[in-house]
Amino acid sequence: MEKVEPIIKMQGIVKTFPGVIANNGIDFEIYPNEIHALLGENGAGKTTLMNILYGLYRPDKGSIYVYGKKVNIRNSLDAQKLGIGMVHQHFSLIPSFTVLENIAIGLKDIRIRLNLDKIRERLEKVMSDYKILVNPDKKVEELTVGEMQRVEILKLLFRGANVLILDEPTSALTPQEVEELFKSLRSLVSEGKSVVIITHKLYEVFEISDRITVLKQGKVTYKGLTSKTSQDVLIEAMIGRGVNITEFPRENKNYEGEMRVEGLSIYDNKRVPIVDNVSFVLKKGEILGIAAVAGNGEKELIEAIFGLRKISSGKIIMDNKQIEGMSVKQRIDNGLGYIPEERLTKGVAPGLTLSLNSVLHDHWHEPYLKNTVLNESEIKKFAKSIIGKFNVAAKSENVLAKNLSGGNIQKFIVGRELLRSVKYLLAVNPTGGLDIGATEKVRNSIMEFRNNGGAVLLYSEDLDELLALCDRIMVMYRGRIVGTFERNNFDKLKIGALMLGKGIS
Amino acid sequence: MNSALIISIITTVLIGMIPRAMPIFAAAIGETVDQAAGTLNLGVEGIMLMGAIIGFVVDYYTHNLVLAFLTAGFIGIAFSAIHGIVSITMKLDQVVSGTALWFIGWGLSGVIYASIFGISSIPPTVLTLKPVYISYLSSIPFFGKFIFGEDPLVYILIVLLIVVQYFLFHTKQGLNLRTVGNDPRVAEVMGVNPILYRYAALLFGGFMAGIAGAYLTLAIVGSFYFDMTAGMGFIAVALVYFGKWNPWRVFAGTLIFGAVYVLYFMMESIYPVIPYEFYQMLPYLVTLVMILIIGAKARAPAALTLPYIKEG
Repeated sequence: MEKVEPIIKMQGIVKTFPGVIANNGIDFEIYPNEIHALLGENGAGKTTLMNILYGLYRPDKGSIYVYGKKVNIRNSLDAQKLGIGMVHQHFSLIPSFTVLENIAIGLKDIRIRLNLDKIRERLEKVMSDYKILVNPDKKVEELTVGEMQRVEILKLLFRGANVLILDEPTSALTPQEVEELFKSLRSLVSEGKSVVIITHKLYEVFEISDRITVLKQGKVTYKGLTSKTSQDVLIEAMIGRGVNITEFPRENKNYEGEMRVEGLSIYDNKRVPIVDNVSFVLKKGEILGIAAVAGNGEKELIEAIFGLRKISSGKIIMDNKQIEGMSVKQRIDNGLGYIPEERLTKGVAPGLTLSLNSVLHDHWHEPYLKNTVLNESEIKKFAKSIIGKFNVAAKSENVLAKNLSGGNIQKFIVGRELLRSVKYLLAVNPTGGLDIGATEKVRNSIMEFRNNGGAVLLYSEDLDELLALCDRIMVMYRGRIVGTFERNNFDKLKIGALMLGKGIS
Repeated sequence: MNSALIISIITTVLIGMIPRAMPIFAAAIGETVDQAAGTLNLGVEGIMLMGAIIGFVVDYYTHNLVLAFLTAGFIGIAFSAIHGIVSITMKLDQVVSGTALWFIGWGLSGVIYASIFGISSIPPTVLTLKPVYISYLSSIPFFGKFIFGEDPLVYILIVLLIVVQYFLFHTKQGLNLRTVGNDPRVAEVMGVNPILYRYAALLFGGFMAGIAGAYLTLAIVGSFYFDMTAGMGFIAVALVYFGKWNPWRVFAGTLIFGAVYVLYFMMESIYPVIPYEFYQMLPYLVTLVMILIIGAKARAPAALTLPYIKEG
């Protein structure tokens, strides 16, 4: 068998962002006439690697070869000249322009006069060559997401791309549109192009790809031909072997009271379920984890419980009180707390002092409000106690929240939620982006809250964190709960397989 | 009213509206291009005043109209460059920067006038632009004189209208410019430099605003007086919205404004019972109503007033 040379070779690519090593010595090859799946969890470094190839980031180390020649890609124009094109999740289209106009933006081979008829002719040739069709005179805003994606692909082909990189191309498509896309990709490959699809969906990989590279935490954990790869091997490469589960001191007592979620559903504006008939019970003195690949309805579920999102149907019962009709304020007054993922935009008011931020949920109560006036000394006392007990590195309670580091803001938010009388705590990625010290502090605090009878609903993208903290883990996939595990039955690979949709149609 | 009066009103409106509309149109066509690239310049009013005084001073001393107009245009470029540095390069708020520009032009034009000519009861004057009669066409009865007997700038502006229309919708550079106005990030991805396009559009807008101001002093009034634009610069900005960023529609809007303006002068003499201030308000009121009715459905360039901040 003759050996095929890769058309693009990336070697030893290293890219660091402040506090994160996104790519840690990655080798990646693209072969002619192939669909190459770049697989990995969120944050594994897939998009970063492809953005480097497309010239959007410069690598700290490593080299790129195109047809065996070392190249220096400084920006996306350089990449386009080398025949590399990329379709991002956010499309680069002008909605109020027609398809033709979008294709014509920035074209180098036109001098002044924009002859759209000529461009139409050329576009129609490209469309018939690759069997990717779209009405050139329609405005982009009138197109479906699938059609917009086709415009993006056509735009690249029009400019002579040989290698097309698609970042999570199926995430916003309906099943029929996915079929259409896959058909298009196959016809591209049969016409001599190469395609890279970035994805975390297992079934797609087997349906469409010829070759697979798996990334985990910035490193390559698997490389091979799809035909010689099994699902189990991929799952292990994506989420890793079971590590030693950290044991926190756990006190198991029975407490009165629970939160029950019954048949909760959320539909988007196209009547597609985002959260699909979810029911569970969260007891006091327990941490219930949600394990899910991002985008499976996990955040929407938590936002709905806190009242930030309208539910389409279902009930939320907290301590025998129905809360789904209540305002956020009423839910807070009934003992609900929330640690949002976006700490600077939803967790604190960045331009206010820590002391004012400490009473965002309580300033309408005694003792912080006295005769309709804020009671500054009480508020400061409370802020000081958060800063002290949660090791928040801040000069005083008069510092503006935005002047704190991410880790300290997070410790402050966790401290605020735990020190006010919260009974049920919702947390989304509470340790995301934090250093080891802050991570430990946050995890210990959540555990202590649980041991004192608090109830926690925790979503984390870090499966190891869920395994370490939770008493139970439920797995969400496409808006549904597809499995629940008790602590004594935790099995990382089984949970991972369910998260990735193995065995679920 | 008898029919003779009505005919005379119509004739007067038709004769008067073009000179009234043209300074506003000069400013508005520049602002149209500027906004199509995503920059709102609220300083047009101030730039017009600067163009008015500078054009006047240059013409007063040199009697060279071309030089006067060009100087006025360049003062407009200089002023809009300030707006560019603040809002495009430093990415600060366009409304604040434009408003500052308005006040600077408003005050500075008065100071320049007073320091050169002092305060006298008889203001200094210059000769205004003479109309150019296009032979044959201007001898057409009734319409000929006021459609084909205008000052030369009118013809230049009408040619410019056609050129700008063609540029925006039928050239590659026009498409690139509109892309920048809708989404500078997309422009950048497609290899178009958003900063360059925004500056070019803004400076063109500034040049035209300067010309518009000089138009007032050199072609219509023949002298300068403090705050003589009386909101025309803002009307120009408003008419860009009314015209939905389409040069032809903007042109139509300025003609309507010009017609109402002339009409109010006439109504004032026919019905002097109604206070003069009410008539004075009419053109602006009509503009406001026009925008409310038609502009409400208008779709602005998506990135209008948004600075372009590069990611990463």
